[in-house]
Amino acid sequence: MGKLITIDPVTRIEGHLRIDVEVDGGAVKNAWSSGTMWRGIETILQGRDPRDAWTFTQRICGVCTTVHALASVRSVENALGLEIPLNAQLIRNLIITTHALHDHIVHFYHLSALDWVDVTSALKADPAKASQLAESISSWPGNSRHQLEAVKAKLEGFVKAGQMGIFSHGYWGHPAMKLPPEVNLLAVAHYLQALDIQRKANQAVAILGSKTPNIQNLAVGGVANAINLDSPSTLNMEKLFQVKTLIDEVVTFVQQCYLPDVAAVAGFYPDWFKYGAGVTNYLAVPDLPTDEKMTKFDLPGGVIWNGELKVAHDIKTWNDDYLKQNVTESIAHAYYDGNWAKGPWDEETAPKFTGEWKHETPAPDRYSWVKAPRLEGKPAQVGPLAQILVGFISGHEPTVRWTKAALAAVKAVHKIDLQPAQLHSTLGRHAARAIRCAMLGELAQKHWKLLVENIGKGDTRIWVDPMANLKPGIYKGVGFHEAPRGTLSHWTVIESDGKSMKLKNYQAVVPSTWNAGPRDDKGVLGPYEKSLVGNPIADPKLPLEALRTIHSFDPCLACAIHTVDAEGEEIARVKVL
Amino acid sequence: MARIAVIGIGNVLTGDDAVGPYVVKVLEAGWELPQEVELLDAGTPGLDLTAYLAGLEAVVIVDAIKARGAPGELRVYDKEALLRKSPILAVSPHEPGVREAILNADFMGVVPPTVRLVGVIPQSVELGCALSPPVQAAVPQAVERVLAELGALGATARPRVPPLVPDLWWERKPA
Repeated sequence: MGKLITIDPVTRIEGHLRIDVEVDGGAVKNAWSSGTMWRGIETILQGRDPRDAWTFTQRICGVCTTVHALASVRSVENALGLEIPLNAQLIRNLIITTHALHDHIVHFYHLSALDWVDVTSALKADPAKASQLAESISSWPGNSRHQLEAVKAKLEGFVKAGQMGIFSHGYWGHPAMKLPPEVNLLAVAHYLQALDIQRKANQAVAILGSKTPNIQNLAVGGVANAINLDSPSTLNMEKLFQVKTLIDEVVTFVQQCYLPDVAAVAGFYPDWFKYGAGVTNYLAVPDLPTDEKMTKFDLPGGVIWNGELKVAHDIKTWNDDYLKQNVTESIAHAYYDGNWAKGPWDEETAPKFTGEWKHETPAPDRYSWVKAPRLEGKPAQVGPLAQILVGFISGHEPTVRWTKAALAAVKAVHKIDLQPAQLHSTLGRHAARAIRCAMLGELAQKHWKLLVENIGKGDTRIWVDPMANLKPGIYKGVGFHEAPRGTLSHWTVIESDGKSMKLKNYQAVVPSTWNAGPRDDKGVLGPYEKSLVGNPIADPKLPLEALRTIHSFDPCLACAIHTVDAEGEEIARVKVL
Repeated sequence: MARIAVIGIGNVLTGDDAVGPYVVKVLEAGWELPQEVELLDAGTPGLDLTAYLAGLEAVVIVDAIKARGAPGELRVYDKEALLRKSPILAVSPHEPGVREAILNADFMGVVPPTVRLVGVIPQSVELGCALSPPVQAAVPQAVERVLAELGALGATARPRVPPLVPDLWWERKPA
């Protein structure tokens, strides 16, 4: 008899996500992704000055604050056709890279590693053996026997006190856990060290953005970081060097700890390079502009269809008409009035709830508040994997080098020859995130240098006035950002009388909508949905495997899994953090 | 570095969820706090809250909470209560957040010895940039409670003369 596993909301921050999985014969037969992603920003922004929009949009999501702020100012700048001073581009790029490093490190170590790491097994580890093993792979200084003994003692202390602290909700002892005790101990030690490193990445964001989690330094037209290398109250040499020190420390961690850890863990789970591919159409947009006109970028964009290792459409700039004309959102299976697929500038939001979905299968016709974004009418996966594949194929030097380094690291530890094509998978998404971090770390160092050099030339410009050449009319713009979870776009329609501006429409097409969206008008599954089909499920009561695949996308939501059989009877409910 | 922090948690775009940031803005405008006290509107930081807690001597968190009671009622919890599993107390709608952040900080050895959560029971957390009347009415009590907690920690605040207008930017209507 088929069983249905449901991932259900337990939180309303940034909307919630629910995944229903029909399980038969130990594997997933069918899947539905539904949720209440943010669906009200246009109501709040209607009629406001577009220069204020970013302060509101950065509140859409408490974890992705900077990304929604950036996409918003870029959207208004794009509409008005502004050129942005180089210092502002580079300061923004440093915020983008340090924020992404922070976000990816937290995702791997603190939000998803425990899908693969059995903390209780670490109690059986021999710290000396673990240290030897680690030192044979990496020169990271956090692997000494002494340090690993201390971590083990800490865990033992938790157990003696009768509770596991932060590790109390885990799948300990699950048959799908495969790491030896020593590797588990290393992972727990690095979990702890990563907590410290992610704070450093966050500090860099705070210095540049004046504050975190909600940065204060953006403005339509540039940034508000006054530059005077000798003044204590502005962006000065001392602050720039603080940022550099923090970036360097994070880069060391990524190269010596994060990337080797992903390689070491992944090699114990070779099957997971087969599961979870799902939708193998990919979309990434260029980011990290290196000029004022935004014609040159340090991160490449492009489109891949059907997992073919060739870039079908090379996206060179944010003004590529291809994106403006080919991105649509379908509401065929979402709780909105009508049955259209429209471009974001033309969308209206008319909610029409058609009743709660219990647990019946197949799902009712309308089952999600999330719209289904499509590219040329087809679903596309976004995120680090999309970006790494586009970069690898198009010969983006740091991407190629770090992808090869990651594949070589797996081979060195496990004697497994992985091919780039195997990155279309659950573990491929984890590997891509680590590769992206290694690459972004280098780019952060590069852009720091570019900023210091540019200031050194005497350029202190940080802002252009968006009102300077304003004429009456309607302006349409789109702000793209390759965010930690993938391609983000904010779409604005602005009305101006020549003296002031008002927002007429505002739509955010966010990465998790691309990935977590429902079926479209043709019944084609979204990336989450398709990636789950074929996943093994050893125990429907503890659906760890479904969690692994969903976590690999890095959903910025919390949810819970509960299991029911085909008749809708609940078997179990599991929290997903 | 600040020794004590008052951290307001919540999404200012979803009705009464703004109460944490709101209280922070009222404190900022109306009170002069000792130098060791830092005020932070942290939005909905999730696990990032760990970074803001780390190394503090004490933290007072203000948040909308899911608990039995009428909208606008206050509930105050200490660290032990927050960590205890309780079937009645669902603590905060921002779980996983406060509890996980405390546990992570504990694992790192940087958890603040004193943690207080001043919680306000919301009426509505639907989309919108305004507090409901009962929660609006509860703001002065929540502020008093935070000040009392600070006073108990030896960080007594003085009224700002003249007081500033709180910067509740999200409540401003479009021009």
